[in-house]
Amino acid sequence: MTSLELTINGARRVVDANPGDTLLEVLRRAGHVGVKKGCGSGDCGACTVLLDGRAVNACLVLAAKAEKRAILTIEGLANGDALHPIQEAFLDEGAVQCGYCTPGMVLSAYDLLSRNPTPSEGEIREAISGNLCRCTGYVKQIRAVQTAAERMRSGRNG
Amino acid sequence: MEDTTRWAMRGTTACKHGKPGPLVSARGDGNNRREEREGDVEDVGLHRIQSIARPTTADEAWRLRTADPETTRFLGGGIDLILYTPETVTTLIDVSRLGRAGVSAGRAGLAISAGTTLSRILEAPEIAAYAGGFLRDVLRQVASPLQRNVATIGGAVARAHPWSDVVLALLVLDADVEVFDGAARSVPAADFYASRSQNVAPLVTGIRLPKRAPSTRGAFEKFARTGFDVGLLNCACVVEVAKGTCSRVRVAVGGTPALARRLPDVEAALEGKRPSSATIGDAASLAARGVDARDDRRASELYRRTLTEVGVRRCFERLTRDGMEGAL
Ligand code: FES
Ligand code: FES
Repeated sequence: MTSLELTINGARRVVDANPGDTLLEVLRRAGHVGVKKGCGSGDCGACTVLLDGRAVNACLVLAAKAEKRAILTIEGLANGDALHPIQEAFLDEGAVQCGYCTPGMVLSAYDLLSRNPTPSEGEIREAISGNLCRCTGYVKQIRAVQTAAERMRSGRNG
Repeated sequence: MEDTTRWAMRGTTACKHGKPGPLVSARGDGNNRREEREGDVEDVGLHRIQSIARPTTADEAWRLRTADPETTRFLGGGIDLILYTPETVTTLIDVSRLGRAGVSAGRAGLAISAGTTLSRILEAPEIAAYAGGFLRDVLRQVASPLQRNVATIGGAVARAHPWSDVVLALLVLDADVEVFDGAARSVPAADFYASRSQNVAPLVTGIRLPKRAPSTRGAFEKFARTGFDVGLLNCACVVEVAKGTCSRVRVAVGGTPALARRLPDVEAALEGKRPSSATIGDAASLAARGVDARDDRRASELYRRTLTEVGVRRCFERLTRDGMEGAL
């Protein structure tokens, strides 16, 4: 085991890790269980986190490659008790069923909206194409991202 | 219900910890074995890896790699290593410090350093303006945005999966691969793959795309359900249009199931021609006959020949329909 210094949700943490550990393993061991493990092979997107502002599969990134980079997990999105507009929109649009895919979906949407505040439906579909959902039909999630985009543009939440 | 979903939003849904639970599933073997146990999250990663070296020069990276080829591998974005590392490998050589990632334009064309992610390439304005945005359009269909944010062009070129859309695109773009194997050199992509029988494949340090006429356009067709899928076949063409006729025609087919290769006979058949439906049809049948198609467990040779015909025809039809009406 070696020590890794990671910046998770703005806070510096020193964690123990093996050189071959994935970011998914390390984050979950560090208590960030909002980072879900679905497939462990890059197919489902349940493990999505942001690395330097870009959504990635934490199961396909070696933790050692995340040193000195900013990691954002779903736990870092809300501001205290105030959910992020994307999270609020997912609730308001009924885009959550079991919730397992939700952290990943929300973070993929966050990556999209931070670069493109006015995405088309096609661009939203493309942005969440690496996030699989076993419960919904994606329709409400797409609507949630559209709602979040509108609210973020007009500075409203809810 | 409301409360439960709010908890899910904060990422605090319950997870099982503690002793490994019962085995749910297992696949692969050796270091690539994936076991799924109830409540278990400790079953991914490369547990044989003992160290990660971080050289700052290509020379140093190459020396580390050749000193012990069995136990070392170059580490780019790392996706393929996580999914398919041989069990003999104990040291990874992180090559991300060898150069600055990015796309740059020069007099001879575009240079892309090996560590540039596929996302960054497809978002680069230079790539949008190059060959009518052909490479951008191909990269949009490779894997998912989540993977493209990690995967590097150097990794895609070095790994060269037979179904690789990236290799296919680079072949029709006449790209050069910049490599280091004791000395730095630049080789045409086709030669790079033709000569890869050496014990240790050279370190890929960058890609060069030659300067192209503004009338250059390309089209790509992939037979797969999603970007994640290993396609049944892929094909691409790039042409320059001058006085209504095609020149510098490039056509390649990949996932046959072998790595992409150009089809020189098809290229010659279209060179200097106006792409009418008759010439396109003839070229597509020639491609179907000439492609090195074979059976594997995913598709038959015959089916692949049919896909080649359809794919080549669609590519040229799209070229004539989309950006080339004015020129043709
Ligand atoms: S757990 Fe990472 S993509 Fe499924
Ligand atoms: S809400 Fe259950 S997997 Fe998406």
